[in-house]
Amino acid sequence: MIGYVLKTMWRHRTRTLLTVSGAAVAMFVFCFVGSVQEGLHRLTTGSDADRSLIVFQENRFCPTTSRLPEDYAKKIREINGVRDVMPIQVWTNNCRASLDIVVFNGADPMQIQKSRPLRLVSGSWQQFQSQRDAAIVGRNVANRRGLKVGDQFSIGDISVRIAGLFSSTVPSEENLIYTSLAFLQFTRGLDAAGLVTQHEVLLTEDADPDRVASEIDSKLRAGAVATKTRRKGAFQASTLSDLVDLIGFAHWLGYACVGLVLSLVATTTVMSVQDRIKEYAVLQTIGVRPLTTMRLVLTESTLLCVVGGVAGTLLAMLALSLGGFAIGAEGATIAFRPTLGLATSGTIVSVFVGILAGVAPAIQASTVPIVSALRQP
Amino acid sequence: MALVELRGVSKSFSKGEETITPLDNISMDIEEGEFISLMGPSGTGKSTLLNLVSGIDRPDAGTITVDGTDVTKLSRTQLADWRAANLGYIFQTHNLIPVLTAYENIELPTLLLKLSSAQRRQRVELALEAVGLSDRANHYPRQLSGGQEQRVGIARAIVAHPKVVVADEPTGSLDAETSDQVQILLQRLNRELNITMLMVTHDSNVAGIATKQLILDRGKFLARAEGVVR
Repeated sequence: MIGYVLKTMWRHRTRTLLTVSGAAVAMFVFCFVGSVQEGLHRLTTGSDADRSLIVFQENRFCPTTSRLPEDYAKKIREINGVRDVMPIQVWTNNCRASLDIVVFNGADPMQIQKSRPLRLVSGSWQQFQSQRDAAIVGRNVANRRGLKVGDQFSIGDISVRIAGLFSSTVPSEENLIYTSLAFLQFTRGLDAAGLVTQHEVLLTEDADPDRVASEIDSKLRAGAVATKTRRKGAFQASTLSDLVDLIGFAHWLGYACVGLVLSLVATTTVMSVQDRIKEYAVLQTIGVRPLTTMRLVLTESTLLCVVGGVAGTLLAMLALSLGGFAIGAEGATIAFRPTLGLATSGTIVSVFVGILAGVAPAIQASTVPIVSALRQP
Repeated sequence: MALVELRGVSKSFSKGEETITPLDNISMDIEEGEFISLMGPSGTGKSTLLNLVSGIDRPDAGTITVDGTDVTKLSRTQLADWRAANLGYIFQTHNLIPVLTAYENIELPTLLLKLSSAQRRQRVELALEAVGLSDRANHYPRQLSGGQEQRVGIARAIVAHPKVVVADEPTGSLDAETSDQVQILLQRLNRELNITMLMVTHDSNVAGIATKQLILDRGKFLARAEGVVR
């Protein structure tokens, strides 16, 4: 009987194609929205979100406005529970929300190699450590900007030579460009000798992050600049607060996409059943059971939805994989990445919506009064 | 015991405030191998009787027994199973499934029975041969003439080896020449394969091919002419 369903879909191929493409577009958007939400979730709840702290200047938000003494690092290291401290100078081309934000993080190259989950896919660490203006570039930025090893990359007053491209298990890292701390501090226009934007504090396994954060702020209160220390996840959520609200709202867009697919496939299936109500009556006259009739309709709606949904999901995965999309604000970035979970949920939603969309027309087809349906022209 | 027994069968419809009773306490027997034609003016219950015997409609009163099974007591699913195994239906407008070839249309009822693919193929080929359409097996309904479509419809009705075949105006939408061919085919199936048939028709010439002719009017049988064979 599956042959009958497939042939019916093929015979009405314009309708099938329109429905499938509609479902594909809606599921494409659904997966994109899902990837943004997953990106935000990763950023604020990832493994290092709770086990590292960010020390920032109190009451400052944009990286360009936070100016902490570099030697705060020594004082922070003295606090019980602190494993390491990495002073970081941050430079970004845009403090507002942007889809093409370029964020430089200047830090000690040795510390970057040791503490960051980075893997060079081309270039060399040695060159990065030895050349003053060398930079290693995250894969997503390189994709977006068409950068490769050996290129000179200039933006604003910063000009770096690319010593390597890296990938990372933490997707947001792939939207960063790392340079040495000294290079960024002495870049024209920054005037940041001896200053950094933030200190990233790595904690020992048994340390209580909130206690350590509180101790850091207390200890540095007597210093030149007051600080505000937060868990890295909380810091990033706060930095991206405007975007967090927007992304929170965007999940309704995801639900709307599911609703759109449901409505589209249900409408097509209802129309298809109404067009062929006599055919279903003939099938039942021949001896096809009502439940089998129901299954035929459900198979049709599910196939329409699954073919469209899976196509949309795969296209979204491909676009997310190749596009290197990210949205950022104030130096923090959310990476949109394809994940198995997203692909699975896209497929499951397609199957579920396909079945749901077919329920009403399936009942209609299976309970049709045979005699009156046969009288139809 | 007759193959088909109708006892005290009544059926009424409401049409606005009016109640129409096309069948009023009808009783009849159809013996195995009989070919009965039902005639009568429009709206006198011929098709209703056919639909009741087919189990696609239910009587208000009375019993309909086919080969010992009271079809009025079966559920919708049981009726579907019963029709698959015991009944062939020939429609006036052929009602072939447009997306399936002639072969696939004929094969459809056999898919509902417990048959191997070889058995199915053998039955479909025999049915195609019986209606003289072996060379049109892979044609779609839109590629067939009206007469060929009806012959496919007849093949579909007999392929499952049903106990009874009902035909609702089987020549009603055909031209005279094609109608003659279909009449000859129906007569041959009854004679050679001993298929029990109940046929509704307006045309007295077509009714003449049956072994027994019944005339229905206002819910009652008016007359019967037995053994009229053309």
